[in-house]
Amino acid sequence: MAVRTIRVYPDPILKQPCAAIDQLDASVDALLQDLTDTMLFSGHSVGVAAPQIGDSRRAVVVDVSKSKLGRDNNHGLLTMINPLIIDREGKHTMREGCMSVPDYTGNVERAEIVVVQFTDRDGGERVIRSSGFEAVAIQHEIDHLDGLLFLDRVSSLKTDVFRRKG
Amino acid sequence: MQHFALTIIGRDRPGIVSQVTEILYRLGCNIADSSCSILGGQFAMILIIAHPEISDRDGFGNAFVALEDSGLSVYLRTLKPGGEKHPHMDGEICLISVYGSDKAGIVYRVSRELGDRKINITDLNTKLVGTEQRPVYVMMLEAVLPPEMEINEINQIMNNLKTELQVDISVRSITPVEL
Repeated sequence: MAVRTIRVYPDPILKQPCAAIDQLDASVDALLQDLTDTMLFSGHSVGVAAPQIGDSRRAVVVDVSKSKLGRDNNHGLLTMINPLIIDREGKHTMREGCMSVPDYTGNVERAEIVVVQFTDRDGGERVIRSSGFEAVAIQHEIDHLDGLLFLDRVSSLKTDVFRRKG
Repeated sequence: MQHFALTIIGRDRPGIVSQVTEILYRLGCNIADSSCSILGGQFAMILIIAHPEISDRDGFGNAFVALEDSGLSVYLRTLKPGGEKHPHMDGEICLISVYGSDKAGIVYRVSRELGDRKINITDLNTKLVGTEQRPVYVMMLEAVLPPEMEINEINQIMNNLKTELQVDISVRSITPVEL
């Protein structure tokens, strides 16, 4: 329906926890469509969370199927309402960037595998087990719903292997 | 705005950063980019700074004399216009780990292979670890490949160096993912 402008930090909406969605009405459907359109329009994006387009409701879209890192292991386009991570396994570090924090990247450690429960766009309850790049993208987008940016999760200053031992 | 590169190094102790940044703050300088780290027993600060009115070195007067008096070495470089801007680099970013028994020339041999192929080193750390009897050299570097170069190509080059230098080398992609 519409490609929306990506909000960039220090826009306060990005640090605000989002509200749960109680009812799947037309406005929720429109929000999911806008999230999808905005993600597709940006070309390289593999996920967008509602606060990134200025809406404080718990909804994200993720699609890593067109990216090099995710094309062999994904669930296609995921439109997630009230997503909740109910299990995590393993650890995996990637250097992340974010459209809402331009020109900065950082190493972030996340779970390698997540089990996510969410309501689908058509109202169905779903539980998926996701791994690899898709799992990273899901965790990054859900963080947005809690007012967290990857900057809150950076685990090391570049190659800081030397600093562990005095 | 005129930009300067300020380098400060001296024996590490608590309080160096606040001592330096208080002076910059009182001058009205903006710290645009900086990287500070402990190397051996020394603390090294490298900062790109700017000031709306100061346009040359003389403009700083004797602002840094107190730092010198406290045992720090201070060097100020005036940047040419545009020298503060990070160039856009398109290629894949890789992290190269090199480690093995310490010997002369590890950094030089690795960096020469990269430089000859226009691979741009953007970060480099080295450390001597292990015992005095059996020293081990560790080098970690990040580099941007030219746009048309694949990571396999650099892998092949590093494999050849492994044999020549008798060290272990691994290469992996760390190109950031935009989410």
